[in-house]
Amino acid sequence: MESSYNSHVKRIIGGIVIAAVLGFLAKVVMTPESFGVYGHYRADAIIEEADREIRHWTNASCSSCHAHEANRHSKGNHKTISCEFCHGTYADHIADGKKVKTLPVMTGDEIKTLCLRCHNKAIEARPEDVIKTVAMPDHLKKQNVKETHTCNQCHYVHAPLEYINQAIKITGIKETI
Amino acid sequence: MNPAHENVVSTLTNYVFPNDLHVHWSMMIALYPYITGIVAGAFIVSSLYHVFKIESLKPVSRFSLLFALAFLACATLPLLCHLGRPERNFNIMLTPNPSSAMAGFGYIYGAYGLVLFLEILFIFRPTLVHLKGQSSGLMKIIYRALTCDSSNLSEQSLELDRKIIAFLAAIGIPMACVLHGYVGFIFGGIKANPTWATPLMPVIFLLSACVSGVSGIILAYILIKSFRGQYIDLECVKTCTKFLAGFFIVDFTFEMLEIFSHSYLYTEHYHMVDRLLAGPLYVSFWEWQVGLLSVVPLLLLGILCLTRISDASYKLLASVVSFMLLLQVVFMRWNVVIGGQLISKSDRGFTQFHPEWFDKEGILTAIVLMTLPLIILFVLSKIFPFWNEEDKDLNRKEVGGT
Amino acid sequence: MSRTDKTPNAVSGGVPDMATELNGDRRAFIKKVLKGAIGGSLLLVIPLEAGVGEKQENDFDKIPEQIPGIRGQEYDMSSRQFAFVVDITRCIGCGSCCVADKREYNVPDGNYRTWVERYVKDFDDNVYVDSPKGGVEGYQEPRPELKGKIRDTFFVPKLCNMCKKPSCVQVCPVGATFKSPDGFILVDSKRCVGCGYCIQACPYSARFLHPVTRTAEKCTWCYHRVRKGLLPVCVHVCPTKARKFGDMNDKKSEVYKILRSHDVITVLKKDMGNAPSLYYKGVRREVV
Repeated sequence: MESSYNSHVKRIIGGIVIAAVLGFLAKVVMTPESFGVYGHYRADAIIEEADREIRHWTNASCSSCHAHEANRHSKGNHKTISCEFCHGTYADHIADGKKVKTLPVMTGDEIKTLCLRCHNKAIEARPEDVIKTVAMPDHLKKQNVKETHTCNQCHYVHAPLEYINQAIKITGIKETI
Repeated sequence: MNPAHENVVSTLTNYVFPNDLHVHWSMMIALYPYITGIVAGAFIVSSLYHVFKIESLKPVSRFSLLFALAFLACATLPLLCHLGRPERNFNIMLTPNPSSAMAGFGYIYGAYGLVLFLEILFIFRPTLVHLKGQSSGLMKIIYRALTCDSSNLSEQSLELDRKIIAFLAAIGIPMACVLHGYVGFIFGGIKANPTWATPLMPVIFLLSACVSGVSGIILAYILIKSFRGQYIDLECVKTCTKFLAGFFIVDFTFEMLEIFSHSYLYTEHYHMVDRLLAGPLYVSFWEWQVGLLSVVPLLLLGILCLTRISDASYKLLASVVSFMLLLQVVFMRWNVVIGGQLISKSDRGFTQFHPEWFDKEGILTAIVLMTLPLIILFVLSKIFPFWNEEDKDLNRKEVGGT
Repeated sequence: MSRTDKTPNAVSGGVPDMATELNGDRRAFIKKVLKGAIGGSLLLVIPLEAGVGEKQENDFDKIPEQIPGIRGQEYDMSSRQFAFVVDITRCIGCGSCCVADKREYNVPDGNYRTWVERYVKDFDDNVYVDSPKGGVEGYQEPRPELKGKIRDTFFVPKLCNMCKKPSCVQVCPVGATFKSPDGFILVDSKRCVGCGYCIQACPYSARFLHPVTRTAEKCTWCYHRVRKGLLPVCVHVCPTKARKFGDMNDKKSEVYKILRSHDVITVLKKDMGNAPSLYYKGVRREVV
């Protein structure tokens, strides 16, 4: 094929133009539909995020089945604690309205560790007006119980002062922590 | 304060935000500006001949373009190794965010690659046309594609080529500067990092790019020529070395100016920058980057440029200086990219970085990625004759350059 | 190992679920919603149903609403202005928020959408900060290395600052992290390339690269809960009400009252210029 003096330039320019057009078409085709509706992003992503599974429900969700515990819990000093913090998420327990798994109930030393997450006096950054703290094992000594006692042997975990207050009512003996 | 006590205090106070413990940008991101730097620097060498008509650089004018192309071909690889979702890399071309310093990468890189490749095609066209006539089989197909299947070498055609080459070389300079200055701004634009957020960052990156590019050309030129037992044009090496000295003096000055400003202005983050350079980066910054690989090369460059030494020692010394400066830039990239991330945004502590050998972004990958351009360069040498004098063997008529 | 050591993992059930969850095809549903709306501008008003999964929809009606003014009406994104207030004086460092957050999102170990820091200041003005495992296991012991007398000690919960001028959005090369019309900074995990630029740019280190999806993640102020009228999970589980969240347009909301009060309210790294929507009450000057 006979080439003129500028045919290579023409071919190169032609190639660039074709590539640019194809690139532009690819950009148009491959840019997601909802991109740029509100700004430089995919608007669908907002709905996708809003549609994420809710794993923690509320104490009200638990109380619909566990009415007895919930009733006492709601009257005690622990009413601000979420059921799901100690027991695990609602979503792990119930799916499609049916129970799928039993959530753990803590026992023994687990309880003690859990209680001391909040109530350990050794951590000084806990204002007295926000939370009651105890020093261990001084608290057990003061109450004349064995040092191996776990918290829930005296305190009902869902309403920690319920039994204590009942005991005070019956015996009339007041004790301080 | 005795050292033991100081140690206790520093472990006590060394608080790193939990998400800062991991260094997110590892060696690949240090390697990436290193490679683009070599590309930009090598291109500048070629432009010094093609645009600024520095005749003594003619022997390396073609080679430096191919050298740049070989590295440019690998510039995206460290990024792809780094990306969490490399298969989505084209998102950066599909929906580039105009406010992001990184978003321009796809287009700037693409445009620069095109300019470089076209410049090579036009400069080599007469050579390629001759080679096309002498080759057969696969090579003939390659040459036909590279010459756009045109063998027209009329005076009119070559005159058109010369104009196009001048144009491409001219726009290539600002594009090379943009390509690399912008890489510097990727770091310079991060206000959350006190060692990165300085307007000097793009300038330092650009100058160190020139240093690494020119060093790369000098070293490769001397090594390849010596290896093949060919004649080394000492005038060319001397001119390159002078430019190298010029670029490096300015580069080093700015690098030191940045540190000096930090310490003199004594701003709120200075205690972190100071402790970083005195602690985790002491060896790699002060001992390697500044001491061994900046001060020593400066002295050697002084000898090369100001004293009269024998040709053989000049070649040896020039190779040594080039090698040291190539390493200097590696350390500079490391200290900026990795070093900058060691400072936790808590302003209270430093994290640690230990490169892995077999990680996706590990040492082995880095070695492979730095070897790859050399392999590509070797392949390119089979297609494009590096040196103008080889051209003369093909055709008595001088066609190189403008 | 104590029970609390296991808590976050025991219930999260393992990260493998994550992959199936992410692959779940919600697209058809979203498309349906989008097609229902006429034209782009009308999309600004997305009905509540758009945000609620069909399965959960009915159940949620039974749960008492936690943020008033969201359910049973059109959610106009452009008119919302949410604020988050952390009250340092009420935080006891129990780590409930961290545990809940980890469970709500199956956050892999070593990455933190939210975390709680412990500050200890001595009489020589030395400040010692720590946050072992982001506080997810709580603070069971005082720092054993600190022997001197303590002048002041307190906890500081950290989370996404939801900046009005977010650096992460500015630097994201592909538009995968963005500020929604209702002021939330969210990450589009389907477009994120995982470059980590936003992680570098965030002055608060609130972001991380998710080891499974390999995309950027961070606290969203539980956008999925808020859109259903529920509080962010950390606010919901906080036993001392140290974390508060609400709409500033709601004059009865607690955040509105706090931000209108005479209390000293501050934001973190004010000089960064990011203008956070996360406010701190009672924070000391040492907090970064």
